[in-house]
Amino acid sequence: MTHDKSTYYLGADLGSSFTKFVVIDDNGNMHFRRTIPTLSRHRELQSQTVAEIHERFPVAATCATGYGRQKFECDLRKTELICASAGVSHLHPVEKSIIDIGGEDIKIIESGPGGEVRHFYMNDKCSAGTGAFITEIAERAELEIAEMSDLARTSQSSRVINSFCTVFAKTEILGWKFDNVPIEDISRGIYLSIVKRIIKLPMRSDLPVLMCGGVVAFHPYLRDLLAGELQTEVQVVEDPQYAVALGAALLAQRSFATSMSEN
Amino acid sequence: MPRLNAQVKLKSILRDYYENLEAPLAWCTSAGPAEILRAMGFDVYFPENHGALLGASRKALKYIPRAHQAGYAGEICSYLTADIGAWLMHETPLTEAYGLPSIPRPDLIVFNTNQCREVAEWFNFFGEEFDCPVVGVFPPRHLEEVTRADIDQVVAQFRNVIAVGEEVIGKPLDPERLKETLRLSLEGTTLWKKVLETARNVPSPLTFFDGTILMAPVVVLRGTQVCVDFYREALAELEELAARDVAAVPGEQVRLYWEGMPIWGRLRFMADLFVEQRACVVASTYCNSWVFDDFDPDDPLPSMAAAYTKIFINRGEMTKLEYLRRMVEEYRVDGIIFHDSKTCFNNTNSRFGLPRKLQEATGIETLSIDGDLNDLRFFSDGQTRTRLETFIEQLTMKSMSM
Ligand code: SF4
Repeated sequence: MTHDKSTYYLGADLGSSFTKFVVIDDNGNMHFRRTIPTLSRHRELQSQTVAEIHERFPVAATCATGYGRQKFECDLRKTELICASAGVSHLHPVEKSIIDIGGEDIKIIESGPGGEVRHFYMNDKCSAGTGAFITEIAERAELEIAEMSDLARTSQSSRVINSFCTVFAKTEILGWKFDNVPIEDISRGIYLSIVKRIIKLPMRSDLPVLMCGGVVAFHPYLRDLLAGELQTEVQVVEDPQYAVALGAALLAQRSFATSMSEN
Repeated sequence: MPRLNAQVKLKSILRDYYENLEAPLAWCTSAGPAEILRAMGFDVYFPENHGALLGASRKALKYIPRAHQAGYAGEICSYLTADIGAWLMHETPLTEAYGLPSIPRPDLIVFNTNQCREVAEWFNFFGEEFDCPVVGVFPPRHLEEVTRADIDQVVAQFRNVIAVGEEVIGKPLDPERLKETLRLSLEGTTLWKKVLETARNVPSPLTFFDGTILMAPVVVLRGTQVCVDFYREALAELEELAARDVAAVPGEQVRLYWEGMPIWGRLRFMADLFVEQRACVVASTYCNSWVFDDFDPDDPLPSMAAAYTKIFINRGEMTKLEYLRRMVEEYRVDGIIFHDSKTCFNNTNSRFGLPRKLQEATGIETLSIDGDLNDLRFFSDGQTRTRLETFIEQLTMKSMSM
């Protein structure tokens, strides 16, 4: 073990695509973070990572979150919304609206300064507008995910994908390809359709708007577009893909502190 | 092991009911004029109860696709699709549960569209299958106020049910017997209401999930002494539990209201989830839909017409809002869950802005969850869990900060 004097807390965010681990100390400082694929054939990778964490840090409490939380051995399970709210509030202890775009859903959270969830909204009926949507459409449009943001920035097009359904959206994109729509406009069109979807969700934009989640980490142009559409400042939190795992670790710490004080 | 003695008792009551269904037999919708049929001498069978059984026994998904093949779409009532599908596959859960070879053959089919038009399609299908007379009652729909004219219109249609019934059964309706049946019905429904009201106690001795089981007699045996006796005993048991503050959900911290249909195939999953979160669903529109305060044995047809036309599902948005506001207060509810049931538009009340209006009027927090009464292809355990856990935590934090 490398750090045996302090107490450490593990947050594990078992998302639909990736599992994120974060280890923090009593002061909320991050000492470890890692992302691995969630898919079942990587089960071993998960147990190896957990073993490595326990090897390196004396973990006092673990909190699991994400769709896979029920199956993860831990002291505490909390939903992604509660963890996102806790994680973002650690970095931004103010009243705020959080937009978390994940692999398969979009979440809107009205969050208090201390991380309390005041209201929330989840769009999870289908993958339209989520990470999975971008990946599928980009594949059909033969776009490199890593280049999309930079490409989109150079476009002025206001073309959007109209369909709510990923399957129909793919057909629409096929039409764009046949019409020789430039890839810059296709990239922007994909982002714009997501942003148009987000601004219709119930959200208070009179509060500071903060974005987290894996998608915005890889598609930074989403933030710019959203700020434009909302006509307000939109910030991406530091290490957005780890905000939820960080929140989980913080909740593990809080729950450990409460149980210690009760004893 | 069931938590309540009433749940044990219920098993034998339902067994007796199903095993003894005999001709002359009428089919009826759950909020149809069952008292008239019973008073005329029909045994009464309720296809919706069968629909719920198909859901609760998780057989619905086996049968629904068969109904699609027969031309019934995936977005329409999954009681209808499960029930028609099961019929087309010559199966019924009544065989395994009570040894019935098939659903009972009707001599008369009666429906009331006070709940939805789907029942007309559903019951007419079986009218053709069994070559049996079908009578529909079509009351005015979605009313804010129920007027004398509305009631007169329904009474006239009830008379038509009586006329057809008399022809089928070959003798006239005895008015005294109708009064007596309605008296028993009123007594049964009043006791059922009191059973539900035991959940006003904090902590509640009863959950919505218990209610969805205990409600069977007020649906299928309304107007019989068996129904009255059952609820009298159940009430005594629940009042005793309430007096001792025995909680249905140990450590009850949050009290919730359920608006919409039950998710029959996931009752246990949902009940366990709420127990885990120390949240008790104390009241619901659904269980209260079989409370018929208007019944008056001295004025049978008009009072039945009033009661069956005034049901929640047949009311306008303002009346629904008022009703929910009252329930929130009476049951000391912290939050309302709206079940957006994908195949029952009629029993889904979150689509015209009611949650928001209610929130603005009362400050109550609301949550909408996606699901369905029978078609579990519209339901996700994971997503439902995430929403409910977050909502309950939100309510807990809110109550702590007050
Ligand atoms: S009210 Fe809904 S569930 Fe009941 S029969 Fe009509 S459509 Fe089906």
